[in-house]
Amino acid sequence: MTLTSFLTIIAIVFVMFNTALVGVLAVIYAERKVLARLQQRIGPSRTGPWGILQTMADAVKLVLKEDVRPAESDKVVFYLAPLVIFTPIFMLWAVLPLDSTKVLSDIDLGLLYVAAILGLSVVGMVLAGWSSNSKYAMLGSARSAAQLISYELPLILSALGVGLLAQLYSDTPFNLSEIVRAQLSIPFIFVMPLGFVLFMIGALAETARIPFDIPHADEEIVGGAFVEYSGIRWGTFQLAEYTGLITMSVLASILFLGGWNGPFSEKLTWLQPLYLMSKTGFIILLTFWIRAPLPRLRIDQLMAFAWKVIIPISFLNLIIISSALFTGKQLGISDDVVKGIIALLSIISLLLVTYFIGRRRRKRLNNYRARWGSN
Amino acid sequence: METKAEVVKSANPDMAELRINMGPQHPATHGVFRMVLGLDGERIISVEPHIGYLHRGSEKLSEGENFQQITTLFDRLDYVSNFNNEWVYVRVVEKAMEIELPERAEYIRVILAELNRIASHFLFYGTYGLDTGAMNPSMVGFRERERIQEVFEAVSGARMMHNYFRVGGVKEDLPDGFVPAVGNLLDHLKRGYDDARDTLTESEIFIERTADIGKLSAEETLDYGVTGPILRAAGVDYDIRKADPYSIYPELDFQIPLGSHGDCYDRYMVRMLEIEQSIRIVEQAISRLPDGPIQSKVPRIMRPPEGDFYVHGENPRGDLGVYLVSKGGTVRPYRLKIRGPSFSNLMALSSMLENVYLADATVILGSLDIVLGEVDR
Amino acid sequence: MIGTFRGLYTALKHAFRSPVTLNYPDEQPKLSPRFMAHPVLTWDHGIEEPYCTGCLICMRICPTDVITVSMKDNDKFKLEESKRRKIVDDFELDVAGCIMCGLCVEYCNFDAIIMSDKFNESVTDRNTEVHSLDELLEEGKEQQAKGRWSPPAVKKSQRRSAAQVVTKDGQGATTDSANAPDNRVALAREKAAALRASRELDKKNKESSEKGNN
Repeated sequence: MTLTSFLTIIAIVFVMFNTALVGVLAVIYAERKVLARLQQRIGPSRTGPWGILQTMADAVKLVLKEDVRPAESDKVVFYLAPLVIFTPIFMLWAVLPLDSTKVLSDIDLGLLYVAAILGLSVVGMVLAGWSSNSKYAMLGSARSAAQLISYELPLILSALGVGLLAQLYSDTPFNLSEIVRAQLSIPFIFVMPLGFVLFMIGALAETARIPFDIPHADEEIVGGAFVEYSGIRWGTFQLAEYTGLITMSVLASILFLGGWNGPFSEKLTWLQPLYLMSKTGFIILLTFWIRAPLPRLRIDQLMAFAWKVIIPISFLNLIIISSALFTGKQLGISDDVVKGIIALLSIISLLLVTYFIGRRRRKRLNNYRARWGSN
Repeated sequence: METKAEVVKSANPDMAELRINMGPQHPATHGVFRMVLGLDGERIISVEPHIGYLHRGSEKLSEGENFQQITTLFDRLDYVSNFNNEWVYVRVVEKAMEIELPERAEYIRVILAELNRIASHFLFYGTYGLDTGAMNPSMVGFRERERIQEVFEAVSGARMMHNYFRVGGVKEDLPDGFVPAVGNLLDHLKRGYDDARDTLTESEIFIERTADIGKLSAEETLDYGVTGPILRAAGVDYDIRKADPYSIYPELDFQIPLGSHGDCYDRYMVRMLEIEQSIRIVEQAISRLPDGPIQSKVPRIMRPPEGDFYVHGENPRGDLGVYLVSKGGTVRPYRLKIRGPSFSNLMALSSMLENVYLADATVILGSLDIVLGEVDR
Repeated sequence: MIGTFRGLYTALKHAFRSPVTLNYPDEQPKLSPRFMAHPVLTWDHGIEEPYCTGCLICMRICPTDVITVSMKDNDKFKLEESKRRKIVDDFELDVAGCIMCGLCVEYCNFDAIIMSDKFNESVTDRNTEVHSLDELLEEGKEQQAKGRWSPPAVKKSQRRSAAQVVTKDGQGATTDSANAPDNRVALAREKAAALRASRELDKKNKESSEKGNN
């Protein structure tokens, strides 16, 4: 590796880092505005035109705050924890393709790299909570570790399903750019909607968004693992969380929505990053929309949901895909028919799951409807 | 009898109980209320509630104020449902002095008190949504409450601390355009109620969080002296408006929602259905509002005769009772005792919090719907 | 899952309604004519003096004791320009302690004090919330200029007794302990006249008995 290529990589990483920061600013502002509109409010509107400088103002305020560290806390680990949380998420940016030619590191096992790095995000949370030497923080980090570990499985299994499908089109199915190219004809969300739903649930849980945000439930443990951090150190956690959100959304667009594909994207290559960004934006908006009306799940309900519902369904998803592909290859059925069969089976299982999840609710509501007409 | 904490500790003698202080400043305790929880992992094994952070000496202050001035104290008791508090107080003085009210005053009182009940239940809805983690319910709840408070401002001049009910009637007549304004308000409230119902009531996650949590059987509620929606959620058919009716309630047609399981979801449902019923009551009262005077002849300086008088009324939180001891001929009461419903409801907390998760503590406390102004007075 | 979807759909519906936010301080809230912020004193523009006679009723009825009043003889009465014998000398109202209950307005016999609509009276020093007589009269003139109050045609005391009529066919205050206010002055006058008459009679009897003795 020559000096110039090394310096080029440094420059690119620097640009990516700044993009991440600006992106986080934009996403936080967008979240506040979108949530406000979903609640018939206005959201930030005074700092800067239409309030776009609101996050900057918050960041400046955080920087100006006093940096408090609990006396009994472990100094080194306390200061290291925000970095340990942020770094794995940012390392994922190395393999995400911006368009058909631009990717920092075009490795053939991109998906495996993603799965491995996601596992590291647990370490930072545990370090943060443990080093704070506070009961609330310890509780928060314990909950968060359990949640992150449990919900990695559906995430990785559904990504694995995507890899299996991409096998139809290329020899290196785990390369993220190849996965995008495999979706030229039809995005994978239409082929395996069940996989998309599972990936979204896993992504929401990994980034600790509602309905899975028990790790920093304001109402009970006031901040969870980050309760002892003040000022810009706490700001770093927010940065890490929203970078994670952006990363997961980009991954979801790449794996399921067709990445940088779109009308005229092959000829006009400058459209490709725009398509990717708009699909990412769509997923991020979906996350905001899910946040507004839904309550959060309790920790044991969360774990029960993961291990008793989501993980078996992710295995079911894999079984559907692999058996369809295998029988398709054996019987010589064309690829499109195989994909159609997978889609059909996915939708049927989604409907069945939806029916069974709502059973308790229906029982309680029927009780009331019988008494009061429609409540 | 051994408490659960003692049982657990005697079973594992070298276990350290994790003590967490859900302190007076906490986003989830509805007001300044402190709970010292003993946790075993995520399960609560002991709870020590501490109250008194909002004690303002209302009962003692009322011994130094004239009967006309005490209404201002009662506004601030349960600061969310002001008209209901004022109503119970003026009823006890009217009972002592044997004053009868003109009909228009009774109707005005019922309309305003029921609107206040709707406002209080919407506040419960908003804060309960926040307790379980949803953000939209709080906005919906407070939006509807703002609409109601605008009507209150037009009638009494203040959005919350009205000081509008007087012994013998109300302070001044309703403003022009009140009836169409209330009709308009009720339409908005029905739509807001639909929004509220669609957001939380049927949500699976909400039902998971609140169903079968914090159960209180009917005998337990009666033992603890719990009243209000919690009692009705446990299945006991007791509402003072039907059991011991006052004012014009016998002439109005409404139902009392009853639960069956006695858990948090039932309490939530009872309050939601009570909003519906209160809308019905207000509609009936508005359509039958008679003309006439709004205050009966009452002396400027009131001196109730000697005796003990007790009156209770159905507040949104339960059974608010006021006990007046009068020595006869004085302008100030000798003793005014307030039976706060939230105080009695809070007594059932320790039994409900046995062996539940920490996350459920917030949900159960929210379902009790306490207001610290009433607990501490 | 239908409940969750219904919740999501309701949230989406909200996005298409116009916001209910009042953009304070660019938009001011619309207050009702009865809005109660802290009380202010009214000014009689015809005679150019305050309505307030310093009778101290508001001071006595205030639940939080934030009003301090004193009265003095009215110079304009001696010059026969005004019917008020006494006029307010000094009036202090501590807005920080005022609970805005409106009792002072209700009990004033002279329409001298009204509730203003000045709700945004925040200050940076807790001790600067005491309003003196001049300030209160200025604020009162503002309220009158805004149209929130104008001198009523019928006096307060007449309005009050007209409002408290007996209700449907004989209802009203009935116990003996509740003495009707209108009667008490007349009763007291009767009592005083009777006492005077009996004293006169005693005096006459004494004189005549002394004369008789002599």
